[in-house]
Amino acid sequence: MNLSDIIALAFRNLRQAKLRTSLTVIGVVIGVAAIIAMVAFGIGLQRNIISNAFAKLDLFTVITVFGPSADDLLALGGGDPETSAGLARRNAPTPSESPSPSPSPGSSPQPRERSKRVLDDAAIGEMQKLDGVRYALPVIMFQCYVRYDGKAARQRIGGALATTEFNPRFKKFLAGTTFSSDNATEVVVTENFLSWTARGDRRRRGGPFTPVPERSEEERAAEAQAAIGKTIDLLTLPSSSAGPASVFGIPLSMITSNPSDSDDELDSRFVKHVFVITGVLKAESGVNFDQFARTDIYVPVEQARAFREANRDPLERMGEALVGDTGYTRAEVRVIDPSKVGDVQVQIKKLGFNSYSLTNQIDEIRYVFLVVNGALALLGGISLLVASFGIANTMIMSILERTREIGIMKAIGGTDSEIMRIFFFEASLIGLTGGALGVLSGWGVTRITNFLVNKYVVKQSPYIEFFSIPWYLAVGAVGFAVLVSLIAAVYPALRAARVDPIRALRHD
Amino acid sequence: MPILEARDVSREYRMGADTVRALSNVSVLIERGEFVAILGNSGSGKSTLLNLFGGLDRPTSGEILFDGSSIGPLSSREMSRYRLHRVGMIFQSFNLIPTMTAQQNVSLALAFAGRGRSERRADASALLSRVGLETRSQHRPSELSGGEQQRVAIARALANGPDVLLADEPTGNLDSSRAIELIELLDEMRHKDGRTIVIVTHDQELAKNHADRIIRLKDGQVVG
Repeated sequence: MNLSDIIALAFRNLRQAKLRTSLTVIGVVIGVAAIIAMVAFGIGLQRNIISNAFAKLDLFTVITVFGPSADDLLALGGGDPETSAGLARRNAPTPSESPSPSPSPGSSPQPRERSKRVLDDAAIGEMQKLDGVRYALPVIMFQCYVRYDGKAARQRIGGALATTEFNPRFKKFLAGTTFSSDNATEVVVTENFLSWTARGDRRRRGGPFTPVPERSEEERAAEAQAAIGKTIDLLTLPSSSAGPASVFGIPLSMITSNPSDSDDELDSRFVKHVFVITGVLKAESGVNFDQFARTDIYVPVEQARAFREANRDPLERMGEALVGDTGYTRAEVRVIDPSKVGDVQVQIKKLGFNSYSLTNQIDEIRYVFLVVNGALALLGGISLLVASFGIANTMIMSILERTREIGIMKAIGGTDSEIMRIFFFEASLIGLTGGALGVLSGWGVTRITNFLVNKYVVKQSPYIEFFSIPWYLAVGAVGFAVLVSLIAAVYPALRAARVDPIRALRHD
Repeated sequence: MPILEARDVSREYRMGADTVRALSNVSVLIERGEFVAILGNSGSGKSTLLNLFGGLDRPTSGEILFDGSSIGPLSSREMSRYRLHRVGMIFQSFNLIPTMTAQQNVSLALAFAGRGRSERRADASALLSRVGLETRSQHRPSELSGGEQQRVAIARALANGPDVLLADEPTGNLDSSRAIELIELLDEMRHKDGRTIVIVTHDQELAKNHADRIIRLKDGQVVG
């Protein structure tokens, strides 16, 4: 008996008992729908959190290197050159400069490993030369009062390279472009900066989900275009109140020559540094994995370096007075290929620095989601397990009912394996139908839940997609349903094959 | 060489604690092309002997030979193939699958032999017209008379061209005129195709009128 005949027979048998077959199929549908809905939620969550990061693949080629704080350096022995891992610290203070009751390195329990040397230009230069590194840059961040469009507020400002190549921060310009040079008095801002000034202090919504933009692309681009060429003022105290001007290293050209020229009466009390907006960046959404490096205002790297020098806070200066130059707090090392991240991190460790890359965290998050999805699948799987008993029950009932028919088939020449195959096909048809309908209803459940949750629970104007049913989940769920059905049919099929034709045909 | 032979065959059944001996040391020879009637009262073991010939059952001791070779060593799968190709069985209660039409019932036997769909349809029609049911092929057993059902069963038994037709009380559920028609149909199968016919019956008249030879069984033994 060939396969198509066996399938035809199985179909025919199922049609004979429509109600019973339908009820059994419904059991499978519920089980599969439960699996689909549960796992779709897990994968949806994972996708919302991880895939937003994946979309920005350049996040995976970046390593953040941490410089030691003044406290760390003090704990290491107050900048003693002999304990600083052989680093040539050109500006290292003499031991007499460090305080005498310096805590010994091993005495205080420190959960986090410290970087063992100063993150200065020399160290960054060494990193630059490591195999697999595309570039190494100090991350320069400073806080400053900013005035734009008549409003002034304290803002965090970052330094950035003028080049747009491999620059994760300058990926999507809504309007304009990057700085003309690394020392230009130009600024690149984000959309969020513009909306802050346009609509009061409206912070960007964080959270793992990607909100759908509220305004059209054209509106946003027009708004951004309008900002190009406008100026932003960075406000600092006059140099006399902040210490000797030579320390700050701010080029004189940056300082407006005559504050009284401005109609702003406050101008006499501070220095105004004028920067021209050359570009507006698209707001980024999703989880911000780089909390510390994220700002809404970027100035060229050399400008930032100068401002940082000028705007150190008193505590930082105190630390420096104790240990000498603390260097940069962070540096960004970009590798040529995500696969190099691990190697480069090892080399950076050898240089004496702690580092962090998203790759470290992604592995952990992936593992967590594997467990979460597994647990959700298990919950759904339990309902499929219940359904499998239904399948076994249906098959046994059907065999009891059809004992005579099975006897006839054997009497006229059907083999045991042919009889078994008919039953296995019946079961897998139940599994296949139930699985396919289950995927559909699972999908339906996720659509309804998503709609209701968005409408009544989240109540957020951007529509959030909580579920994700990738093709492998749909195919896997159907395959699993068929597999479970086949397992449920093992006993009934064996029992059918063992029917004794003489007993089955004994006339009543 | 006899087409079928039972050589010193015994068949015992366990019924709870008791052992019932349905056949004891029976030896029977059936020649090719014979019409043999096995006659006996109920419980004489005549159906047991037929089931042994039909490969539905195996003897407790002794041997069944088909065309000179023992069917004892056959595996269960080979035994199924023996039932499919070598012998055709007909039962008192017809044993047609009630949910299938006459055509489908005949077709099922052809399907077990691995025949293709269109070939099956043609063969089944031919077989049904041979037994005079060409107009009834799309009817289910419940829409057919007893005589018609039994003729469908004969068509099915003939499907894969067996050498032997084994009929267990084929006329048991039929009135006498239908019974005679049916026996004549079986007789025709023997004369036209040279098939061997073995029927089990308790109808002495019928056996005497149509069979070449009568084997009488009593209490599991051949009595002449």
